[in-house]
Amino acid sequence: MLSFSPLLLSILALIAVSPLIWSVRPHRFRHFGWIAAIPPAVITAWLLTQIGAVSEGRHVTAVYGWIPQFGLELAFLLDGLALLFGLVIAGIGTAVALYTGYYFEDNPRQGYFYSLLYLFMASMLGIVWSDNLLTLFVFWEGTSITSYLLIAFNDEDPNAVAGGRRAFLVTAAGGLAMLFGMIILGENAGTYNISGILTAPDLAASPAFSTAIVLILLGAFTKSAQFPFHFWLPGAMSAPTPASAYLHSATMVKAGVYLLARMHPALNESPVWFWSLLIIGGATMLLGAISAIRYFDIKALLAYATVSQLGILVFLLAFDSEYAYIGVAVGILAHALYKGPLFLIAGIIDHATGTRDLRRLSGLLSSMPAVGVTALLSLLSMAGIPPLFGFIAKETLLETFFHFAEHGGGLLGWIVLAAAAVAGAFFVGYSFTLLWEVFLRKEPSAQDPAHVHHAPSFSFVLGPAALVMLGTLAPFALPWVDKSLLAPAASSIGGRVVEAHLKLWHGFTPVLMTSLAAIAVGALIFVLRDRLRAILSRAPKNLNGIYVFDKTIYSIYDLAGLSTRLVQGGTLASQASVVLLAAVAALSYALLRTDWARDLPIDWTNSASAAEVILATLAVVAAIVTVRARTRLNAIVSIGVVGLTVTVFFVFFSAPDLALTQLLVDILTVVLLVLVFYRIPPATLPPIRFRTRLRNLAVSIGAGALGFFLVLFTIGEPFSPRIADYFMLNSAPLAHGANIVNVILVDFRGFDTLGEITVLAIAAVGGYALLRSVRLYVRPSHLDSDQKPAKKE
Amino acid sequence: MPELYLRLLDRVLTPILFVVAIFLFLRGHNAPGGGFIAGLVAAAAFQLQILSQGDEAVRARVGQHLQPLAGIGLLCAAGAALLGLINGTFFQSVWIFAELGALHIEQGTPVLFDLGVFLVVVSVMTSFLLGLSKRDEEPFDD
Repeated sequence: MLSFSPLLLSILALIAVSPLIWSVRPHRFRHFGWIAAIPPAVITAWLLTQIGAVSEGRHVTAVYGWIPQFGLELAFLLDGLALLFGLVIAGIGTAVALYTGYYFEDNPRQGYFYSLLYLFMASMLGIVWSDNLLTLFVFWEGTSITSYLLIAFNDEDPNAVAGGRRAFLVTAAGGLAMLFGMIILGENAGTYNISGILTAPDLAASPAFSTAIVLILLGAFTKSAQFPFHFWLPGAMSAPTPASAYLHSATMVKAGVYLLARMHPALNESPVWFWSLLIIGGATMLLGAISAIRYFDIKALLAYATVSQLGILVFLLAFDSEYAYIGVAVGILAHALYKGPLFLIAGIIDHATGTRDLRRLSGLLSSMPAVGVTALLSLLSMAGIPPLFGFIAKETLLETFFHFAEHGGGLLGWIVLAAAAVAGAFFVGYSFTLLWEVFLRKEPSAQDPAHVHHAPSFSFVLGPAALVMLGTLAPFALPWVDKSLLAPAASSIGGRVVEAHLKLWHGFTPVLMTSLAAIAVGALIFVLRDRLRAILSRAPKNLNGIYVFDKTIYSIYDLAGLSTRLVQGGTLASQASVVLLAAVAALSYALLRTDWARDLPIDWTNSASAAEVILATLAVVAAIVTVRARTRLNAIVSIGVVGLTVTVFFVFFSAPDLALTQLLVDILTVVLLVLVFYRIPPATLPPIRFRTRLRNLAVSIGAGALGFFLVLFTIGEPFSPRIADYFMLNSAPLAHGANIVNVILVDFRGFDTLGEITVLAIAAVGGYALLRSVRLYVRPSHLDSDQKPAKKE
Repeated sequence: MPELYLRLLDRVLTPILFVVAIFLFLRGHNAPGGGFIAGLVAAAAFQLQILSQGDEAVRARVGQHLQPLAGIGLLCAAGAALLGLINGTFFQSVWIFAELGALHIEQGTPVLFDLGVFLVVVSVMTSFLLGLSKRDEEPFDD
């Protein structure tokens, strides 16, 4: 019997609440945010009660059989890392759910947003709690899909739709690569259970190990917006702000980091791992940090800052030291606690003043003091000013590299340290820039200053303020946070027990000196910001991922268009010829390689009955009449006769279900054809040219011969009676049904049927779209500018 | 306006076809029939309605329900598969037996699954029929 672990229950409850919250149309209620925050708050509370047990190494597990025969199971594990991520997801989810109610006040699409938010939350919790690679993959794709829908939430804005599609294609392609990597790992380890893989002996010596690492890295890098895939994240900023704060800063983009952290113990000994993470993470860190300062849109700036932060986390994971493990854990928590609120504040500013443009904003600290103080604390944390949480994260980061440089890293170690310090300085630079330009200065730089005309309510600010308070207080409870959250998470990353050792004050160490130097350089960047912006905005326009990506995607469209013109041009008959000839060509190769004498033991003594001969003759005559028919109606009627004779054949061979199906399909087809052709003038068929007739004849003979030989081989193959016997014997006792055909369809082979009806439903949606002749894509204008004007058709 | 005999046929045959569909569905597990076949019969009933009343009338009545119906069908099928978790694994069938006087009740998740198949088939076939019988303002080019 099934027992529900809170882990499974949380995920199922969120999925169940998702449609409910949509159907109550929450925009009608003024303070719905408080109700929407309850489910994530409950999950957060449950996770908090588990801290004690998990930090002592007593992990929560839950395993459900899925298809046990194949070793497939739904397995969940709550260890230190899963708990840390779970708290970030559910905790920030609570704040975001509260905030959303006020962000979308009176907006009728509030319910839709909530429903996506909950689905996302369920998938995200699924990723971090899964103890099975395949389950993890399913949840992983769940976040990609919900992220796509959230980015394209404003579905009338072409930028939002394009941004969503880019994000989806990049992350889904990476996800597929990752799936292949997971399969290689799983097959080599003999299990898809993550705990099993992490402890599998000699995994590193198994075949294709490096390939598996590269494929998994592709998944992680695309998801976590690493260079050169980082471009989708700034494009994702067209999502509503609560989604940007939640998905594209605090949680989903960290899924890649999570995966790397999770697989770290199994994979980190490979040089491929070290160099990929070092180079890609480092490049992302610097690129994001330097690019951010160029943007005037607060959200765009924060997006690049997030890219940089993700780079730092990946960079850290290259190293195999306790400093690095702790650094990742503290980095994840600190970043979630300052960047999430910053995004939410950007939304509040947008809501209150109607703009997010730095040039038009000024003096918000005095006009919105609560927002200002919240922003002040989170910006100082982002800058890494002591004693805020961000400072501790930066200290740990620098400490990792000092340790690496002094213990065998050599020159590489100092380069790495310098790169981290440069990134840190830019963090300081744009934190100060935001602080000064948005909150402190008296006069904006643009002509049309924005004013606060819609002051935020208390509950609107509460979510971000509460997160910032947690981030501000955390350093003062550092021993507790370290021992109960960070050290257990670090232990999971390292695959060995890591002791807590974080301190707020280490004395005047070289690390602190580097940190102070970064702040000083950051202040310089702040002073020189306008010059930097001018230099950076001169970067070549086409040198970015979006351009390359769109170019690639639209060349695929062009290629598809070309192949459509080549293969599917002209009449239906010529299109059908292409399909049939391709099938004939592919299968005649197989036919040529067969040993006729051995594979075709035809029993010539087994003669047909008179009825069979008559029916077969009738079918052949009807087919000839169809081809020679002068009017469409005649052709349709005689093709119906062909179908009916086949039906009677099924009856002869005692297959009543098949006969019924064939009969119904035949009737519906005939009526459909009549419906369609009835309205096509003229009623008589136009004459066909001789050459076309010859071609049709050749194709028909080929296709007919193919069908003939296929059937012959199928019956020539010795048929295993065991299968039929099994179904006959077990249909009634196991499946309580006497109709074996139906039992096979809905029970024994139910999974196949599920796939088939899914395909059917998708085909219906596709057919619907085709019949409405929707234009599928519009070429974006920025690709046309560098091309010759399109030829007139 | 369609011919009189078609409208007459519609009056008489459509209810019968729907009843036959339900009959075929219910007997499907033990005798020829089942969700797929029942779905085709029900679609044939809609086809008759389209022929006799015109596609506009049928579309106005059922058109907007078709896609949700396919979704509900898929949910039924997937839900039946998920209910198998009660017995231990995905797609494991779950049966309920009850005796109500002379009535012998035997229902299980495969029946729910078959219902899903039925709904998807009805919805898909009917939307194709409606789509293809749509009257366009402009005549086809030949």
